[in-house]
Amino acid sequence: MFSPRWRKMLRDVWLHKSRSLLVVLAVATGMIGSGALLDAWALVQRVTDETYRGSHPVSATLRVDAIDAALLTQIRALPTVAAARVRRALSATALVNGTELNVELFALQDFGARDIARLESERGVWPPRDGEISIEKSSLEFSGTRLGGSIDLHFDKQPPQTLPISGIAHDVSLPPGWMDHVVYGFVTPATLAMLGAPASLNEIQIVVRDTTADRDTVRQIAYAIKALIERGGKHVVNIDVPVPGQHAHAAQMNSLMLTQGAFGLLTLLVCSFLVVNLIAAMLAGQTREIGVMKSLGASAQQIATMYLGFALLLGLFASAIALPIALAIARPYAALKADMLNFSVAGFAVPWWAIALQLGVGCLLPVLAAAIPVMRACRLPVSAALRDAGICGDAGSAFVRRRISIPGISRPLLLSLGNAFRRRQRMLLTLLALAAGGAVFLGADDLRRSVREAVDELFSSERYDIVLRLRDAYPAARSEAAAAVVPGVQRVQAIASTKASIEHADGMLGNAFRLVALPPASPMFVDRVQQGRWLSAADRNALVVSRALLKDEPTLVPGAQVRLMIDGTATEWHIVGVQPDIQALAYVPLATFNDLHASAQGAALLVTTQERGSSAQLDVVARLRSELEHAGMPVANSWIVSESRRAVEDHLLMVVQFLGVMGWVMIVIGGMGLASTMSLAVLERTREIGVLRAIGARHRAIMAMVLIEGLVIGVMGWAVSIPLSIPMSALLADGFGRVMFSVPTHYLPSAAAASTWLLLVVAVALIACAWPALRATRVPAARALSYE
Amino acid sequence: MTLMTHVNPAAALITLRGISKTYPSPAGAFSALSAIDLTIQRGEFVGVVGQSGSGKSTLLNLLAGIDRPSSGEILIDGQALHALSEKQLSAWRGRAVGIVFQFFQLLPTLTAAENVMLPMDFARCWPSRERRARALVLLERLGVAAQADKLPGALSGGQQQRVAVARALANEPAIVLADEPTGNLDSRTARALLDILGELVRAGQTVVMVTHEHAAMHHATRIVELADGRIVDSEAAVHV
Repeated sequence: MFSPRWRKMLRDVWLHKSRSLLVVLAVATGMIGSGALLDAWALVQRVTDETYRGSHPVSATLRVDAIDAALLTQIRALPTVAAARVRRALSATALVNGTELNVELFALQDFGARDIARLESERGVWPPRDGEISIEKSSLEFSGTRLGGSIDLHFDKQPPQTLPISGIAHDVSLPPGWMDHVVYGFVTPATLAMLGAPASLNEIQIVVRDTTADRDTVRQIAYAIKALIERGGKHVVNIDVPVPGQHAHAAQMNSLMLTQGAFGLLTLLVCSFLVVNLIAAMLAGQTREIGVMKSLGASAQQIATMYLGFALLLGLFASAIALPIALAIARPYAALKADMLNFSVAGFAVPWWAIALQLGVGCLLPVLAAAIPVMRACRLPVSAALRDAGICGDAGSAFVRRRISIPGISRPLLLSLGNAFRRRQRMLLTLLALAAGGAVFLGADDLRRSVREAVDELFSSERYDIVLRLRDAYPAARSEAAAAVVPGVQRVQAIASTKASIEHADGMLGNAFRLVALPPASPMFVDRVQQGRWLSAADRNALVVSRALLKDEPTLVPGAQVRLMIDGTATEWHIVGVQPDIQALAYVPLATFNDLHASAQGAALLVTTQERGSSAQLDVVARLRSELEHAGMPVANSWIVSESRRAVEDHLLMVVQFLGVMGWVMIVIGGMGLASTMSLAVLERTREIGVLRAIGARHRAIMAMVLIEGLVIGVMGWAVSIPLSIPMSALLADGFGRVMFSVPTHYLPSAAAASTWLLLVVAVALIACAWPALRATRVPAARALSYE
Repeated sequence: MTLMTHVNPAAALITLRGISKTYPSPAGAFSALSAIDLTIQRGEFVGVVGQSGSGKSTLLNLLAGIDRPSSGEILIDGQALHALSEKQLSAWRGRAVGIVFQFFQLLPTLTAAENVMLPMDFARCWPSRERRARALVLLERLGVAAQADKLPGALSGGQQQRVAVARALANEPAIVLADEPTGNLDSRTARALLDILGELVRAGQTVVMVTHEHAAMHHATRIVELADGRIVDSEAAVHV
């Protein structure tokens, strides 16, 4: 069936089975990691394409003071518009199981439209009937709502209304409710009227006809529609144009996938080092055979094909192991990612191209890695290949040994040190593989530290333990007095908060953000201004904006004047500073805020407790709720700052956790590489070991020589990983900053992490070298000396 | 007893003109062969003799196209070896030359038959389905057909060398080059192997054998003696 040369190849695989298996497993491990990421990414992309883009997402939303049927007909008739609909979106609150939740309600005239932001019914009644509500499925679990249950909705100062939950809907254009802690609901305009909310629809949403149009083109179309609306005497207050065809969380997800993909590629690169080492060692051991084959008429090309075929076979084995495992891991991982985009992967298969790409990479990676050593071996002249230099031929270590002439070091130890440098290319690739794993391990630890510090920094302004949001605004003095008497409370501060929007020069309102009003000299809030200054007691209409708000509205630099729309009133403000918060908000002096509202009212209380423990603070919260309820100022919701901090930290550290896992995978691959290298070294030096044994070397001495050689490579890998971790940490911090938020960069690993990694590398080296060392002691001296 | 006679250079199979081979070494250039002129006729059994380091193996390597001369010309069956590229040399070697090594050099992971089939596989001179049958014929001819499916490790030295000869004949080469083929064999096995080489010559094959064994020299039709990289004698041997 096979020609003799291919039979030789197959038998060579069998002859080198333990080392080949090690390389197959290492390549498979790398492929599982990177393949699972590719499969997950491809599956999420497919779901995004088919689910999100297939739903005809809205290209632009225009908020108008009034809409009529004639206007909608006019807009639908525009050649640039493929579809249009009207709706109203408004915020309300809901009380579920004693907790107040934010609710975003969407009222539509036509729930059945298929050509614009298609809504799908999951269960129950669809579309919602008057007096009922359909909940978006991603909001169900966290809110504790269910089909057949009910929800108490509360709009503005209207009395709460109980609505039965008659249906569950799915809107792929919404970010998941569980992620933003928002309950998304769909109601009819008549239901809005029941809640006491304005029932007229005030938003026109369009889908542009040109599906390839970029954001600027869509914006131009939206402004043309604005002109059309305003010609009819109506007023457009806001235009929102999202990035075309891109889900709200897609950029974050892509960045995350890209970072992960880069680590997948790094893992594959490390795997290729192992292949280079195995093939190079195998070729070195078969130099004479290559010479014989050439003398029998084999061309360099024929020999190269044989050894590259061997590498291809390794790749095929690795792919056969890795592909199904990567698929098995990818599916739940993709489901998790899709869940973050409010999609479901159910019913979708990983695209065939992703599997074909992995198979191609799995097969080609070993071939490409083997290409250089194979070409080098094939170019060796036949006469040189047939020459046998004996054990003196490999003088590579003599050069090094001469330089490691440290006084007091025993000769066997000196031999081990020299042996480590004998095959310098192999040693370099092995230690680079270990160092790459170490650098990711240290980089992930640095990032963990950076994230913790960033979260510390984030919460460093907050010198309070509990936040209580009251159901309404009450006189500050009254709420403070009621809370101050509660046992366990050390200090109380009432603050006010409302929503505001920037009114641009063209009369358009920007996106709404939170305005926090507090006394400038409050001991419960420490400023961390990055630019300009913090609020002072003398300030009137002064504003400190958050970094996130500055990112949305780049003109809000210190010194700038801005017109804010607050509760329907436009007022002039000047920016005095920038605070590094990750939410879009702005701080104003409480006195100015009170003057605007003609009363000293607060809607939230900041509380410092006497006890620091979580359970003690929970008791204080319970007592505060009870006391304030009793005083007629019920609490809508509350949270303990340390718990919020932990939740934020846990959320951010999930990404770091993944990098840590990649570091471990690479360390395992590096360990496999070291095991393979040491096994090859023992095989190549069988004759030399025989000579050593013949002149009296004991088992222990032989074993120690192999272990020390492995330890030398391991410790060098550790030493190289330290400087390598510097760019790694910088890259990780930069990548994290792009995806999540900016974190400080550590250029040097912590002493604890470096020590842990050193202990780890020693353990990895000892484990990796144990089997080769044992094999070295098991070779009988006679067989070793007769070894050809 | 051997009598030397001069050989007619006409109808030469192998012609070496002004061949020199120099190797670089830490102690300076080392001249392995210098100013070699040699002609070998088709059907000759040439024994190349000389002391260790005299240039015997270098000469054989040059004839096999394994090594290249530093200067001079090598013509084999009208083919100028010194002008061929490495790729062309490989192809030529596969078709025109069979080599027998001192240490047999059978590939350890291939059976005897597969070792014989290997040159056919490389040179593609025989259809793939005929290769095994031809290998078995050659092994039969050399008396080791019973060992066809054994790995070299399971064969005696003599058997391995017979398989190596069968391998050298795989592609019906015009020339068989043997480098100390009996150097690793006992005298009885060595004699049998030399008889086989003699039979090849009688069947029309040309054999060039490097040896330093007297018994081996007796089988040659001509002895070329080398000393310090030069031919000191090249006479036809007449066996009495």
